[in-house]
Amino acid sequence: MATAAAAPPYAETTPVGAPTGLWSWITTVDHKRIGILYLYTSLFFFVLGGVEAVTIRAQLIGPNNTLLNAELYNQLMTMHGTTMIFLAVMPLSSVFFNFLIPLQIGARDVAFPRLNAFSYWIYLLGGVFITVPIFFGLAPNAGWFAYAPLTDRIFSQGLHIDFWVLGIQILGISTLAAAFNFITTIINMRAPGMNLMRMPMFSWMAFIVQFMVVLAFPVLTIALIFLQFDRFFGTNFYITSNGGDPLLWQHLFWIFGHPEVYILVLPAFGLVSEVLPSSAKKALFGYPVMVYSGILIGFLGFGVWAHHMFAVGMGPVADTVFGLTTMLIAIPTGVKIFNWIFTLWGGSIRFTTACKFAIGLVAVFTIGGISGVMHASPPAVLQQTDTYFIVAHFHYVLYGGSMMGIFAGIYHYFPKMFGRMMNERLGSWHFWLNMIGMNMTFFPMHFSGMLGMPRRIYTYDAGQGWDVFNMISSLGAFLLVPATAIFIYNFFRSKKHGPVAGPNPWDAPTLEWSIPSPPPEYNFATIPVIESRYPLWDVTHPDRTADIPHTTEGWDKAESAAHAAPVHEETGMKTAKELGIPMPLPTAKPLVTAIAILILFGGLLLTHITGLKVAVAIMIGGGLMLIFSLYAWLTSPLE
Amino acid sequence: MNRKIHWRPFAHAAVTAGLLLALGACSQEYPNSTFNPTTDFNTDIIALWDSLLFWGTVVFVVVEVLLLWTLWRYRRRPDGPEPTNVHGHTALEITWTVLPAVILVMIAIPTVRTIFRTQAPAPAGSLQVEVIGHQWWWEFRYPELGITTANELYIPVGRTVNFQLTTADVIHSFWIPQLGGKRDLIGNRVNHMWFTPDPAMTTQVFNGSCNEFCGTSHANMKFRTFAVQPNEFESWARHQKSAAAYPVAQESTGALAEAQQEPAAQDSATVAPVAAAPSGFTADSGYAFPAADLPDFARPHTPLPSGLTFTEGLTGDAERGRQIYSRTACIGCHKIEGNPISIGIIGPNLTHIASRTTIAGALYPNDTRHLSLWIKNSRVMKHGSIMPTLGKGEHDPITGAVINTGGLTDQEIADIVAYLQALK
Repeated sequence: MATAAAAPPYAETTPVGAPTGLWSWITTVDHKRIGILYLYTSLFFFVLGGVEAVTIRAQLIGPNNTLLNAELYNQLMTMHGTTMIFLAVMPLSSVFFNFLIPLQIGARDVAFPRLNAFSYWIYLLGGVFITVPIFFGLAPNAGWFAYAPLTDRIFSQGLHIDFWVLGIQILGISTLAAAFNFITTIINMRAPGMNLMRMPMFSWMAFIVQFMVVLAFPVLTIALIFLQFDRFFGTNFYITSNGGDPLLWQHLFWIFGHPEVYILVLPAFGLVSEVLPSSAKKALFGYPVMVYSGILIGFLGFGVWAHHMFAVGMGPVADTVFGLTTMLIAIPTGVKIFNWIFTLWGGSIRFTTACKFAIGLVAVFTIGGISGVMHASPPAVLQQTDTYFIVAHFHYVLYGGSMMGIFAGIYHYFPKMFGRMMNERLGSWHFWLNMIGMNMTFFPMHFSGMLGMPRRIYTYDAGQGWDVFNMISSLGAFLLVPATAIFIYNFFRSKKHGPVAGPNPWDAPTLEWSIPSPPPEYNFATIPVIESRYPLWDVTHPDRTADIPHTTEGWDKAESAAHAAPVHEETGMKTAKELGIPMPLPTAKPLVTAIAILILFGGLLLTHITGLKVAVAIMIGGGLMLIFSLYAWLTSPLE
Repeated sequence: MNRKIHWRPFAHAAVTAGLLLALGACSQEYPNSTFNPTTDFNTDIIALWDSLLFWGTVVFVVVEVLLLWTLWRYRRRPDGPEPTNVHGHTALEITWTVLPAVILVMIAIPTVRTIFRTQAPAPAGSLQVEVIGHQWWWEFRYPELGITTANELYIPVGRTVNFQLTTADVIHSFWIPQLGGKRDLIGNRVNHMWFTPDPAMTTQVFNGSCNEFCGTSHANMKFRTFAVQPNEFESWARHQKSAAAYPVAQESTGALAEAQQEPAAQDSATVAPVAAAPSGFTADSGYAFPAADLPDFARPHTPLPSGLTFTEGLTGDAERGRQIYSRTACIGCHKIEGNPISIGIIGPNLTHIASRTTIAGALYPNDTRHLSLWIKNSRVMKHGSIMPTLGKGEHDPITGAVINTGGLTDQEIADIVAYLQALK
């Protein structure tokens, strides 16, 4: 491994020509820097959600524990779910969407760089908006899926639910803006020759996820607007005493909520599909099937929402339909598992930390998948739903699936992001502690659930047969604390002192590894020409890609090879200006616009504190600020 | 019991199977297990679960063995061969698409059959029970028998019970894990669920709980189900539909009370004393599950919250208690059949409160100490409790106020407790 001193000059760990200083981060529109902002922010929220989880487990370590009272527990439980889903796992996926999509498809930035910055800032502000109340005992307290009519003002006075309704709306703006941005980017900005079936698998999964976001989040927005109107303007969408229908909320929420599960897990599937081939020195097995199964999961994901509602009494026909569609979705998911295993089959597997986490996903997500099929049988799920069995299931999916994949992605792409390698020894500790802790925490929950323990209870009585399982779960959760601490330490230490990585430390086949680490602000000095799925292996290991069909589309192989690999050595030291590449101008206007939206929503919240006059005044102020900042943004030149 | 094995994450299948066997043997240790075929409903569910667990285990073993073997076989070795050059295999792809589909069909067929069987209308002649969820307690009504009770459900073994589930406020979910699946209680609609307890079952108690998050004290919304023999149920029902056992003093109630009480009084007069009654039967109050026979899991162990005190050694007077009860806030929410002024319906029906083993949503045992403290400051006893704090000088944790005027002294509370304890 090269050390910093011996590294070739292009392997500097600061991108060439990159501006420095706080202001440069505030005004950045560079997709890579925005990705890194997402990384820090979402890791912070991941740790926060983890602290909430560990506190919850500390309360549940034994029966009749009094560490937390009911009110505080309910807030922590709600915030743990909300934080992990909306503020940690989704933005951790966004890290890779931002950082990787342009690099993988051979683009110099996303389609709308300033909109991208706006997405980040509105995420940050929305995250702060929904998180801060926990420090005042005012956090949302109705669970992450906030079932009506508990969330109506009749049953939830105080600001708790107001923060949730408005906070999630703010976060939804961020997600939707980002989704349209990435869809446009992938459709329009692929390098010449990069047709869809040559796109790296992560970009494919990201592509599918953006469509799911675009179709699912508006439904959540509608559900939230109804709730917001119930709470602020006296409508009766969900208020049962006035004839409202609480099941309307459940249907709307889960039409969003189930696709959301795949929104959370497909990016991780994509990352694993990147890590395994370079670890096994072998192309991804069944690439087209992986693409189709991803699309199928995305498509079926919209037809299964009511399997969250088998206990509400929808009747035998609806139960049958949603049971069967839910079973169907297991097939494309299983196909992915087998394709990953056969990617490894016949390979030469190097167990890097990234590879371990990727394999960990395959091994552990399978358990979540199997318990998922158990939930597809409506009569059986009547004994499982809303118990700890469900808690076990979705943590195997979201921790064993999403988080394992994201960790794999972080270890794999850290060298590309920061130009240095993460420590493999610490990484191994992180992996094994994580694996043991995670299984210790969540596996016993299968038992406590089937032995009758409801979820979302702040305490339980002695003598119910749940004590041992809860004790093991709590100890397992405590084990995840050192695991995560080791990861964070490794992260910051490696960022400063890790060995210099060079452009392609993993001998990986895709485009992002052809440019220096970290990449220059313009990414590609010359836009590469693509003629296969694995442009780098075409040059370095032609044997590995020989039988994958190549088409030339007007370029011959030699020409494309000349473009793809050695570009960085000639131009890596040059800035965009020297190369004559136009770059978008840095600007703080997206941030100002995001602040204006926060003021707008915050003003609405104030109607419940200060009364209407002050609130309307603030909202008008926020609205004017929004109009002016948008005007300034839209009339200022991009480049 | 080989519990230690749960530390090993990959022993999924073996452990579950082992546990299932063990559970049959020691249901006392897992009193809320879902694996006991106590009703037709639960037997159906267990049959499905068994097939799900079997196929799940098969898939799990196949995947993990294949994965681990691949990892071992194709680990990178210094002298290892270069990877073989395979990028796909159509026959394999079809295989692992079709095989899971076949397994799913085998799960789907019994699933669909069970859906339609368990959701068919309840058989004629079922015992009708209305379950009404409240934040955070359960109301049970037997419309055919004219009984309203709270937090303790009696059902006869061998007879189908048809539950009609509604809610007074937010969504709740009704679940007795030992007896079958759960069903939500949703505003503006009536849900149904039915099952038939095994006729061969001995008289026993099961814990139940609310399973849909319903606000602050969701965890404290529990109940007990007593599955009893038919003759026990008959005796219990006959007594429960009678008016309160504690006589209403004539001078203070007047004609209205008499008019109301008359049919009920006749009823209670017809309760025949059971000669040489077995456990649980009493001459004057019909059958009730004997408190002394309650297993440990059905006795609440909730610790008393700190900071609550009650004057020691007070003796309550039931008649004085009745008078205090009848002129204070109690009557606004509670009903006591036979006490003509106590007609509230917001809180639990107290007609036969002394026949119950627990109070406050099965959070505390129904004894003098807990009942006294409950009346004194229920909001400290149970987070979020809607019943107001009543004790003089007590701090109401929800409103933040200290109760002064109108608050009950310890002696007054002791009197009310004496009255309530007379309501067998």
